[in-house]
Amino acid sequence: MIKITNLEKFYRTEEVETIALNKLSMEVNTGEFVAIMGPSGCGKSTLLNILGMLDDPDEGSYVFNGVEIAHFNERKRADLRKHNIGFVFQSFNLIDELTVFENVELPLIYTGVSSSERVKRVEEVLDKMQIMHRRNHYPQQLSGGQQQRVAIARAVVNKPKLILADEPTGNLDSSNGNDVMELLTDLNEQGTTIIMVTHSEHDARYSHRIIRLLDGQTVMENIMV
Amino acid sequence: MFKNYLKTAFRSISKNKSFTLINILGLALGLTTCLFIVFYVVDELSYDRYNINANRIFRVNEDLKLGDNSVQYAVAMPPLAKTLKAEYPYVEDAVRIKNAGATHVKKNNVNIIENRLAFADASLFNVFTLPMISGDPKTALNEPNSVVVTESTAKKYFNTINVLGKVIVFNDHENFKVTGVIKDIPNQSHFNFDFFLSMESFPDSRSNEWLRSDYNTYVLLRNKADSKKLEASFPNLLEKFSGDQMKSELKMSIKEFEKSGSYFRLNLMPLTDIHLKSTLTGELGANSSVQYVYIFSAIALFILLIACVNFMNLSTARSSNRAREVGVRKVLGSPRKYLIAQFLCESILLTFFATLIALLAAIILLPLFNQVSGKEIAITAQSLIWLTPLALAIILIIGSLAGSYPAFFLSAFQPIDVLKGKLATGFKGGMLRNFLVVFQFAISIFLIIGTLVIYNQLNYIQTKNLGYDRNQVLVVKNAFELKDEASVFKQSLTQLPGVVNATMTGFLPTSGWRNTRIYFKDANLSQKESMFPQSWEVDADYIPTLNMKIVAGRNFSKDISSDTSGIILNQAAAKFFGFKDPINKTIYQSKGGDSKGERNVNDYHIIGIVQDFNFNSLHEKIEPMVMTYGHNSGAVSIRVGTSKIPALLAQIKAKWKAVSPNVEMDYSFMDQDFDASYRSEQMIGTIFIIFTALAIIIACLGLFGLAAFAAEQRTKEIGIRKILGANIGAIIGMLSKDFIKLVLIAIVISSPLAWYLMHLWLQDFAYRINISWWVFAVAGLAATTVAVLTISFQSVKAALANPVKSLRSE
Repeated sequence: MIKITNLEKFYRTEEVETIALNKLSMEVNTGEFVAIMGPSGCGKSTLLNILGMLDDPDEGSYVFNGVEIAHFNERKRADLRKHNIGFVFQSFNLIDELTVFENVELPLIYTGVSSSERVKRVEEVLDKMQIMHRRNHYPQQLSGGQQQRVAIARAVVNKPKLILADEPTGNLDSSNGNDVMELLTDLNEQGTTIIMVTHSEHDARYSHRIIRLLDGQTVMENIMV
Repeated sequence: MFKNYLKTAFRSISKNKSFTLINILGLALGLTTCLFIVFYVVDELSYDRYNINANRIFRVNEDLKLGDNSVQYAVAMPPLAKTLKAEYPYVEDAVRIKNAGATHVKKNNVNIIENRLAFADASLFNVFTLPMISGDPKTALNEPNSVVVTESTAKKYFNTINVLGKVIVFNDHENFKVTGVIKDIPNQSHFNFDFFLSMESFPDSRSNEWLRSDYNTYVLLRNKADSKKLEASFPNLLEKFSGDQMKSELKMSIKEFEKSGSYFRLNLMPLTDIHLKSTLTGELGANSSVQYVYIFSAIALFILLIACVNFMNLSTARSSNRAREVGVRKVLGSPRKYLIAQFLCESILLTFFATLIALLAAIILLPLFNQVSGKEIAITAQSLIWLTPLALAIILIIGSLAGSYPAFFLSAFQPIDVLKGKLATGFKGGMLRNFLVVFQFAISIFLIIGTLVIYNQLNYIQTKNLGYDRNQVLVVKNAFELKDEASVFKQSLTQLPGVVNATMTGFLPTSGWRNTRIYFKDANLSQKESMFPQSWEVDADYIPTLNMKIVAGRNFSKDISSDTSGIILNQAAAKFFGFKDPINKTIYQSKGGDSKGERNVNDYHIIGIVQDFNFNSLHEKIEPMVMTYGHNSGAVSIRVGTSKIPALLAQIKAKWKAVSPNVEMDYSFMDQDFDASYRSEQMIGTIFIIFTALAIIIACLGLFGLAAFAAEQRTKEIGIRKILGANIGAIIGMLSKDFIKLVLIAIVISSPLAWYLMHLWLQDFAYRINISWWVFAVAGLAATTVAVLTISFQSVKAALANPVKSLRSE
């Protein structure tokens, strides 16, 4: 599903050039659950942003579903992204002004789904995440675990092929964190590919494979049994 | 502590350069505009106050009503001044001024036409403060053929101000001796003359007639004298002095005269009211209107408010950025009042810079403003006396006013909330801010509508069919100089190719020549059916030359000798007399009673009706007027049928030279004269446009800032939305929507208000446009467009930003 080759990304300030990704290559197959680990500043987030088509690489190739997209412009990437990828963040990134229902509905609006279909699908996914009773609440009124469930609901409501999760349990206690990991595992078992960045060895054990990064390069891959 | 405020203030100001720039520029722009308006208003209010006794000087006005006609005069009867002085001990002095009109003044054998001459009584210098440089103010105007000139006139004619005893020749043959030189009269005077000729030189001034009014008469009351008391005694005074004349002229007593519904009354107008409140018949010069003082003051206030609102809006919008500072200060023990002081300090500092810029801009742009407003305002050491405290007051008042809301708003934050980040949503809940944006745009839209209406009205004036054709008409204004040769001159012009027609008379729709006479419907001269119309002497070429239209009967004809007693009425006059078929009816005119008491009546038979034409300004309805057939050489008007005007003009000048080699021909084009009479409206229009533009610029500066902060506040939201698939258009729409809503509300609020006020303004014109719906549509569209453009600059920037960046800061 994903194949990246010799990917490079630099960050420049006036004085320093930092190499975030250094000729990184990796492959992720459809249906896999991959965890990316590494210390702060190793390039995890950069990699996730590029995989999620939020950022473009400076060098190298990125083939998504057989299409080279490294040099896609913003509009093409956005188009590909909104139909194929769901995001889950550490800090949830829900919009404070919108209710639970409206937050989850948002991706459907942007992909042009009809209103009645939207209601159906949002209710379906809220039900699945067991937060239906909270549909008219605002994010501030929810616990962290509930907020992350809303965020996951929002990420999957469009039925993406790929979910990118950036430390999804980072802001949660262990019990809520486990719930979230169970949810992701369920999704993966139903066929969704998941790539997750995490600091937690515990969370990483939910995955099939762990890729460890250091200074923008792959240093080790562990296959989980 | 104060040092700390100042330091933080300076750092905060210099850290947010763009914010500071927007804030200072907006405020400076508003202040500059206000300063100009203050200059203008101060200048308008200072008229005639150069007179030391200004509050004791009054002009005697006369109200006359004859049948259905009423006129208010700025002039009074010839013997009134001396009578007032003789009859009332509390009248310290009285003076008459009589405009002498255009006069030739000889300089080195060349005649120069001067317009600023007046006859004045010797008491002139007792009443008005006109400091004399040389000569004796007590005696200067005592003798006949004495003249007092201003300093610059002396220099103009003699290149020196030592001119006592020198002789000035008026109209080629009248020799006047210079008996005094006065300082130039300040611009802020309702009369402005260069020559004062002694009243004794004007024989008519000794007239004892009480039934005519043609002398501007001023009284100086003694200290603490009551002007109301003097006014109250006027009816008795008139009874005493004019009663007999009334009896012999009109064969009735004043009581009977008043019983018939007519009256003539005198009243007093304070000298300092004249410039702004007086537009009577017989003014010594064009006066202004207090209405404009009010309008401009209101606009100044509005613009200042818009600028202050910007300040408040931007400061509170920024509050979330400052919230952490407030929280830390509070945690460290700063009481609330210190924080308030700190924010006020900051805003006063900003206002200080803005005021400096505004003062500088005002000084630099003053010549431009003078050009637009037609004023001659100068900033002198004297104006600094009121300008400096004003500037300080502005800095303190505006600074604290604009800073007060942010100061109290920010200092009220609870430190725990702030540090926990609960105020990260500082932009929301801005009801007041929304209200202020609506307020700004309501004012801007109001000004746009005002400008559109004024321009429409001016355009209407320009294009309205006036009943005569003012284009392609050359007016030779001083044909009266030619005396008997005038007819020869006119005749010679008609032979020139390119001259379509020519008429000789001073009475023109665009000239100052006016003459009112009383006409009666019956031969007994019954007051009840009298009319008080303009009565103009014209020739047979008048109506064709000015392309007027005869709607009934015919024009005067050279070949019909009885036309000398013929008369042409305009439609208004015909209607006034209520004739069904006016042609060949007769109307009458009194020749004035003779000593034997016999009635001496002229009769005029109506030969034609001319279509109504606007001979007064379009502020006034078309009044009755009549034309009689006669010889008046006041001016020659020439209808030109060629585009080669310069060549034709040269030929006309040559014809003039042939009959009058010594006098220059004074001419103008009728359409230019027409435009000149609407100069004050044109000026208002221009000033309105400038103010509107400024108000919109200032409002947009504020909106620009707000949009920037809105985008900043919502960076995270924008990022999330983009990740979820929002395209750029959706983001721009989302950001603009909130502001557009506010602008729409502003349109709804300001439109009815603007309609009402502009409707009132239009009431001043007897001939006016209707305010049509598209004015509001255009104003709304313009405001919305400007707002959208302003906002979209920020929105597009926000929408294009990479979402990764906004989320990375989490």
